[in-house]
Amino acid sequence: MDKVQMLQVLAASLFALGLTGVIIRRNVLVMLMCMELMLNGVNLSLVTFAHTMGSTVGAVLVFLIFVVATAEIAIAIPIVLLLVRRKRSLDIESYTDLKG
Amino acid sequence: MGLLTLIVLLPLLGFLVNGLAGNRLGKRFVSVVGCGLPAIAFAVTVKCFLDLRAGGWAPIAETAYVWAMVGQSTFEIAFWFDRLTAVMALIVTGVGTLIHVYSIGYMHEDKSYARYFAYLNLFLFFMLLLVLGKSLLVLFVGWEGVGLASYLLIGFWFGDMEKAAAGKKAFVFNRIGDAGFLLGMFAIYSALGTLDMPAINAAFMGASTPAVSATLVGILLFIGATGKSAQIPLYVWLPDAMAGPTPVSALIHAATMVTAGVYLVARMSGIYLHAPEASTIIAAVGALTALMAATIAIAQDDIKKVLAYSTVSQLGFMFVALGVGAYGVAIFHVTTHAFFKACLFLGAGSVIHAMSGEQDIQKMGGLGRKIPVTFVTFAIATAAIAGIPPLSGFFSKDEILWFALGSERGGSVLLFSVMAFTALLTAFYMFRLLWLTFFGKPRMLKDVEHHIHESPFSMTGVLMVLAFLSAVGGFIAIPHFLEPMLPIPAIGAAMQPLHYWVVGGSIAIAATGLAGAAWFFSGDSARAAAVKARFAGVYRVLSNKYFVDELYDRIVGRPLVWISDAVFLKLGDRLLIDGTLNGLASLAQRAAGRLSRVQTGSLHKYAFLVLVGMVASLVWMWRHG
Amino acid sequence: MIHDFLAHLETLLLWGFAGCAFVSASLMLVLRQPMRVAMALVSCMVFLGGVYGLLGVHFIAAFQVLIYVGAVMVFMVYAIMLLDPRDESATAKYSKLLWPGIIGFALLAEALAVGYWNDLPHAPRGALGEPFDIARFSTAFLTEYWLHFELTSVLLLAAVVAALAVIKENRRHERG
Repeated sequence: MDKVQMLQVLAASLFALGLTGVIIRRNVLVMLMCMELMLNGVNLSLVTFAHTMGSTVGAVLVFLIFVVATAEIAIAIPIVLLLVRRKRSLDIESYTDLKG
Repeated sequence: MGLLTLIVLLPLLGFLVNGLAGNRLGKRFVSVVGCGLPAIAFAVTVKCFLDLRAGGWAPIAETAYVWAMVGQSTFEIAFWFDRLTAVMALIVTGVGTLIHVYSIGYMHEDKSYARYFAYLNLFLFFMLLLVLGKSLLVLFVGWEGVGLASYLLIGFWFGDMEKAAAGKKAFVFNRIGDAGFLLGMFAIYSALGTLDMPAINAAFMGASTPAVSATLVGILLFIGATGKSAQIPLYVWLPDAMAGPTPVSALIHAATMVTAGVYLVARMSGIYLHAPEASTIIAAVGALTALMAATIAIAQDDIKKVLAYSTVSQLGFMFVALGVGAYGVAIFHVTTHAFFKACLFLGAGSVIHAMSGEQDIQKMGGLGRKIPVTFVTFAIATAAIAGIPPLSGFFSKDEILWFALGSERGGSVLLFSVMAFTALLTAFYMFRLLWLTFFGKPRMLKDVEHHIHESPFSMTGVLMVLAFLSAVGGFIAIPHFLEPMLPIPAIGAAMQPLHYWVVGGSIAIAATGLAGAAWFFSGDSARAAAVKARFAGVYRVLSNKYFVDELYDRIVGRPLVWISDAVFLKLGDRLLIDGTLNGLASLAQRAAGRLSRVQTGSLHKYAFLVLVGMVASLVWMWRHG
Repeated sequence: MIHDFLAHLETLLLWGFAGCAFVSASLMLVLRQPMRVAMALVSCMVFLGGVYGLLGVHFIAAFQVLIYVGAVMVFMVYAIMLLDPRDESATAKYSKLLWPGIIGFALLAEALAVGYWNDLPHAPRGALGEPFDIARFSTAFLTEYWLHFELTSVLLLAAVVAALAVIKENRRHERG
């Protein structure tokens, strides 16, 4: 197994772990962190490819993802704060107001 | 703009002014516009008549506007002024103007005064379009337009449901006739490629007969005429049309509009001369209508209903004349009828005015001394319609009877007998009306009696003019005047010597009717009551108009309602259309209900679905990529 | 000799960082306390930063540590410290979808791994391309991708406004 393949498999694993974490964990904050993990997996994949092909596109995208992740967390945290104040709970299972 | 166009447009101008701004302009202004413009139109018509005479009676044609050009055919709004048009246009504008003037007094209290005059002018506009139109198309526009104006004026007091319904009835029955008219027009156009009436007549009179059956066209056009001119089987709308204001009944439903059918047949005489079968049908229908309406009129108690059935009956007379080929005589009767029937209706209006709205002749009586002008004019007109010489009705009716007997184009003893009997009935019911209204003891309520007053001069003046015309109108030799256009049929040789007998006979008939009515209804009319009691069954049938309305309701009205309700409403509308829509809606609703279960509100499940989708798409991609 | 050793060391370190990152990520799923999960994520990110550094894209490694660990995760940790004591209800660690989730994870990992295994571009295998420095990156960023740069600025501005709006909504809710 060479380096690039290894890193790509790692990226895929991080992404899959993150998604699984979103699915199986109940704590809102943990779920948020799992989403960050997914983003990190994607970043790794992009950086690896950018590095392999000697292209700057991947690096640019990674940089943009940093910014988006920052923005996302800046919004997500206040929303979670708000939700927790209303529901008095970090358990995502109690947030089922949009049930059809 | 030529004079003919001017004649037509003047009433339209009146309609626009009064219709758009009448309410703001005051009654005086509305009256001046409403009566002034028709009067000017009458003056222009007279001018045209003089021009026509100066031009050696050569028809005047005038194209106002080219309506459409389709391929080789040109459709123009063109006017045509010949002897026949001259007679009709003079009647329409002349009598029309008089009735407008009368309306000033009659409608003075009405709050929709301006609307009334606007409608009346609109009617005049369409009627002039009808009589002046050169092509059948323009005539048809006028034909439909007078139907519209008639509908509007019958339902003038539309607050009353019954009156609004009468307007609708007139409209619907006219539509049935119009369908026939339209089919006739289509047949003519497909065969000849033109709708110009002079051209059509010329085509039928020409050497080579056109490729369309004259009988078919004649019958189709006659169906249109039965609608407009209230003949069997479409006559039932006319008696109900009396719901409109009385001057309207006089103008539209006696003097002018209802004679449009007669005018149409006379105008299209070129076709009917080649369609003896159609002419026979016309004569038969006319005779039947005349007889039937006359019998009904005997048993009616509403003053306007009597006059309405009398109109239907007189129209029957005219169609008999048309049926036996005496077109000029029919127009002659149209003219005299316009005079005396307008006078009668306006007199009836004056009576109703005096009686504070009462129309039942059983509650009148003894009005002769209280409203003398109305009485005298009404009596003259009654004598005219009954055929007392030398009043106008005598001449025209006598001519009709004579041609019904002697014409070589379908005259027969049977036809003559029916018409003579009808003439007797006419004299009888008209004098009955006169007696019950003006003679005998007053039978009205005390406070009504107290209010009885003669009408204002704007009304009585018109009555006097019309009574004068009814008296002397017979001396205008219209059949002779029209002979170059509408030839008078030859009289069978065997019948020639009978002419004076017929004249004498018709005088005798009128006198008998008069005497009969006087005998029955003089004093307290006890004899009439006895006869009524004796023939109660017959009386019931007659006073209920042979139950024709009920019959139509049974055989046409109710099945239509049933089909509309059961088939179109319940099956078509509710089941098919609503059902489909409701079905679709509930399908969507149920499907949404099912699908909404996917919306669990649980973020875990959503994320899991993302995962599943991702795996599925990846697998698919690796497989097919 | 030294050079060989260094090359081997580099590879070794890469594998080591990758392994540690994977382990940290796995720990995130099993640790109970949110704070510990956060620490696992931080370590995962730091290891990833090490991987980036070893790949030669140092500026991205620096951003990874500065922005992710320094900003995002600090924010996260604050939130955990603020909210965690309120959490009385989270008795169960895992949702009802634990087993479906795990099976799904296995399937996804397998699909991705198989895909990578079979379809990765083979040309540059082993031979890494020229590592590009920050100067080249910056030039490309500000000439070719300036529009994206501006758009992310707008996104950040929107995020700031949105955060303010959320806080305002929160205050209004508390008052009302």
